[in-house]
Amino acid sequence: MAGQTDPHISLFSPQEVEFMAEDELVKIVPNMNMDPLNFISGDFGRFVPQIPTEVPLWLAVALKRRGKCTFRPPEWMTVDNLTQILEAERESQSTFQALPFSYVEIARLLFDHARDDIPDMYMVRSLVEDIRDVRLHKLETNLGSFQGTSAVKISNVSAMEVNLVRPFVRRALEAFYKHDKPEADVDRDTRSSRQQREANNEPRRPLRQR
Amino acid sequence: MKSRSLKLREAHKVGGSAASFCSILWDHKAEHFVTSSSSDPSISVHDGLSPSTLPPTILRHHQDGVTALALSHDSSFLASGSIDHCVKLYKFPSGEFQTNITRFTLPIRVLAFNGSGSLLAAAGDDEGIKLINTFDGSIVRVLKGHKGPVTGLDFHPNGELLASLDSTGSVLCWELQNGIVSYTLKGVGPDTGFNTSIVNILRWSPDGRTLAVPGLRNDVVMYDRFTGEKLFALRGDHLESICYLTWAPNGKYIATSGLDKQVLLWDVEKKQDIDRQKFEERICCMAWKPNGNALSVIDVKGKYGIWESLVPSSMISPTVGIPDIQPKKRNEILDFDEEIEEELYGASESLNDALVDSDDGESYHTSRKRLRKKTFIDDDGDAYEELNDGSSLPSASEYRKKTLRTHKEKHGAGSGAFKSFVATIKYKMQSPFQPGATPMEPGKRTFLCYNMLGCITTIEHEGNSRIETDFHDTGRSPRVSSMIDIYGFTMASINESGCVFANPCKGEKNMSVLMYRPFRSWASNSEWTMRFEGEEVKVVATGSDWVAAVTSLNLLRIFSEGGLQKHIISLDGPVVTAIGCKDQLAVVTHVSDCLPSNEQVMEFRLFNIPRMTQELKGRVALTPGSRLTWLGFSEEGSLSSYDSEGVLRVFTSQYGGSWIPVFSTSKEKKQEENYWVVGLNTTSLYCIACKHPEIFPQVTPKPILTILDLALPLASSDLGAASLENELMLKQLRLYETQRIVDDMALAGVDTTALEDEAFDLEVSQDKCILRLISSCCSSDSFVRASELMKLLTLEKSMRAAITLVTKLKLPFLAEKFSSILEERLLKEANEAITNPSQNPSGEVVTRVESKVQNPPASIQTSANTEAFLKSSATKLSSTTLEKKAKVSEGLKLGKEQTKKDETEDATKKEIKKLNLIKNPVNNVNKEGKGLRKEVNQEEARRSSNPFLKSTV
Repeated sequence: MAGQTDPHISLFSPQEVEFMAEDELVKIVPNMNMDPLNFISGDFGRFVPQIPTEVPLWLAVALKRRGKCTFRPPEWMTVDNLTQILEAERESQSTFQALPFSYVEIARLLFDHARDDIPDMYMVRSLVEDIRDVRLHKLETNLGSFQGTSAVKISNVSAMEVNLVRPFVRRALEAFYKHDKPEADVDRDTRSSRQQREANNEPRRPLRQR
Repeated sequence: MKSRSLKLREAHKVGGSAASFCSILWDHKAEHFVTSSSSDPSISVHDGLSPSTLPPTILRHHQDGVTALALSHDSSFLASGSIDHCVKLYKFPSGEFQTNITRFTLPIRVLAFNGSGSLLAAAGDDEGIKLINTFDGSIVRVLKGHKGPVTGLDFHPNGELLASLDSTGSVLCWELQNGIVSYTLKGVGPDTGFNTSIVNILRWSPDGRTLAVPGLRNDVVMYDRFTGEKLFALRGDHLESICYLTWAPNGKYIATSGLDKQVLLWDVEKKQDIDRQKFEERICCMAWKPNGNALSVIDVKGKYGIWESLVPSSMISPTVGIPDIQPKKRNEILDFDEEIEEELYGASESLNDALVDSDDGESYHTSRKRLRKKTFIDDDGDAYEELNDGSSLPSASEYRKKTLRTHKEKHGAGSGAFKSFVATIKYKMQSPFQPGATPMEPGKRTFLCYNMLGCITTIEHEGNSRIETDFHDTGRSPRVSSMIDIYGFTMASINESGCVFANPCKGEKNMSVLMYRPFRSWASNSEWTMRFEGEEVKVVATGSDWVAAVTSLNLLRIFSEGGLQKHIISLDGPVVTAIGCKDQLAVVTHVSDCLPSNEQVMEFRLFNIPRMTQELKGRVALTPGSRLTWLGFSEEGSLSSYDSEGVLRVFTSQYGGSWIPVFSTSKEKKQEENYWVVGLNTTSLYCIACKHPEIFPQVTPKPILTILDLALPLASSDLGAASLENELMLKQLRLYETQRIVDDMALAGVDTTALEDEAFDLEVSQDKCILRLISSCCSSDSFVRASELMKLLTLEKSMRAAITLVTKLKLPFLAEKFSSILEERLLKEANEAITNPSQNPSGEVVTRVESKVQNPPASIQTSANTEAFLKSSATKLSSTTLEKKAKVSEGLKLGKEQTKKDETEDATKKEIKKLNLIKNPVNNVNKEGKGLRKEVNQEEARRSSNPFLKSTV
């Protein structure tokens, strides 16, 4: 698979995708008193001990690191639910189960920072990994069955998965388009592709590792 | 709740980690019990009445450990078998050694007397069971047939059968008459191998109908007396195979002990386990007290204990209806002639009859108990029931009544016993409780106290409890180390500065103790304890710098934070609960016995501890048939209560002090949840939601608080805007309370600016709510209600908005009506302003008559500030106004001056102008918007200052 074998071809690095996922809201139970925080994205809080509140993931992680809150695991992150999803994923080859758009990243961050707040953590982790593997495999095989089209619709694909297949799919679709219209302007095509490559070859500033 | 831990006492020393088989036996009158151990050559005869005080009589005749004990049916003889191959006979209870009645070549494992005591069966690692005549020691017969050591022997109650069990688990049933095996059950019991600390045991039921043998599947299997057919099995929660079992004297219960170190009590008829007890060591022998509801147990370490009242009092006592099968005392044995045989069978026949008879005689009694038991089991709310000493929720009581009724139908009303039963269901007064505590459960962590600040939890562990104190806010609050609790505290209360504990008195030795632990203290060792002799602490509470305890003598004792006994007050009723908050202490006491309609009669008092005043006193309002389950203060400091029917009430000063129901569980959508209240503020309720049928939260996982909006139990109105009505009523309530506080503070001369701002905000939001209600009234054509709402509006601005609203809704007649209401209001206010000129501060009058129209650029914000400023200034003397004025901007000053001028000199002129404005409100709003707003604001300012005129004039 293009995206997996060569990470530089995908548009965003996994770290970047994770960074974007940090804006997702999660539920935390603070153990401190704090007035509401006013951010550009909205107001969060007020924080009262033992009363759950929703905050962006990055804030939750920051608070958790300081021992100021505990996570409430998201509703989908239960052994029962994940087992069901995994089974459903395995059953149907063509459709994807509904999971949060950035479930991989959320799960990863929670596993890294909120080990003690997730019941059956190891079970949950292995289930999430299984689901991710199954879905990726399915996505790849599905892409293999592309017909000569100019559009593909797959619903419920998550951020990380989209990020992996996006460059390949786009190039594949472009190729289909080109072959469908042989009279298309060759010059313009090559020019655009060259520009694309230049853009991709720009040196990437690696994100700070956590 | 019954304490389940059973303290064991050492009777025999068992060295090291070895497990040895120990035995325990009761004599037939329960005057003595006998213990022995396979690692101890001595036999101890304990006094059954006070085993702790009198030292046991020691019989030291054996050379090696005693493995078997048996008492004859009338307890005149004691037989003991030992590893030293001897069987000895003693007189009982004197313990006088009689004779070495027999000898084996290998250790003895089991002994049994027959019913008449004439025959002793002994068996062990030797091949064969010896039947010994106890009179002359002659061996009557040796029964051979077992393939391994025999570990279980039991004579059938009528004396004609002997059942034996070997360590491989095979059961043989012998006919004593001829010594032949009537049936063999091969390998039905667990194979114990060569472990001598376990014996396979079997027991005939006291009525002789069934034989109980431990099964292979951790169960007890019942076999038929004659055929050896399997009848049924008792299977339950034993995790490992059963190593001992014993029938209750009446055969209705059976106690089993398993290798999993627990003892289970079974109801044989229902084939169900009733109760269980866990032990640290395996229990290897048990014996029912023949005349009481008690089971004595001994473990493999030689420690014995007596499990008192193990059969719940709701069930038939194990000593009731003991089948009376006394085989005739016979000197000659085993030469059964036909006559005797007949007699025996006859006896068993009559036994059956007798059983049936006694059943009949007993049936009333039994069924009654059953029914009571049933009410206990079937009712989901029985946690409450227990909490309230068996008095109950309406559902439970209803159920009970129902069962009573059916009972009545069955047995007729004439029964005297029945009448006495009716008398016993009189509803009880609620027992004392600690707000925010959950009932104790053995082996589980429970809350002693949970409030908005933190919690105190306790868990019992090896006789001691471990108490942990946690604050919800871990950042700001002190970290409190956990504490080993040697007193067994059951009550606690926590606040910012410290926590207080108390325990009830348990018997004579353990006095009730009150203990206080401050969290922040400059001196070390500032914990203190108080002991109470002949008095029991029922409820504790803390506040700032004081600790209160209410005792069984109805004394309210108040201590200082350092432990000084400050006040003792006699309360006029038994306490229900108490709670402290800052300076205030609320105590709820019973006024009288519970009403026949199951309503508690309780009274509360609110004390101010530092001022030594009683601020409030009144009855506690409760839903009929419910119990008070929580008492506390809202964040704003008003007293609140929650009852078992799920109604939250707040005490307000409205209507001369009344309870207002601000929340009702029945109005909530989620019926499958029970709410355990923790706290509240003016708009919402903080509680822990417990999944039905749980009533109390668990300590782990840490519960989180759920916020529920307060919702008055409003009737379903045709308006269909219940939420708005609810909001309005809550806001009115809040506004009322705020204004009351402001009045109080103003009287006391305290600065009230902040609260007045709050009151103003409340007025604004209340008006918004009313406007929405007006619109929904208009859409449902209830115009009278709309005009009533119009009158409720407080701000002139919102009244104008209402007029605009109805105009837009194309209701001109309503708009007219509204305008006239507004006119009236303005006229009234103008009059008031004229009659009360004294509110104006002296001087400072600027003669700029037309300024308000010509000088529009005062922004909305400025005018808002002006209002706030004016409000405060109106209530104060001119000096403060002057002081304040220095701080505010020129614009504000202008606004203020205008107002004053208006109020004094220009009142009439203004009035005319206003009336003009009212005539065509919409146009005015559009045309001279800002000027108008200013006008409105001035009006508001004056009006809102009116309530305080009384105080200043």
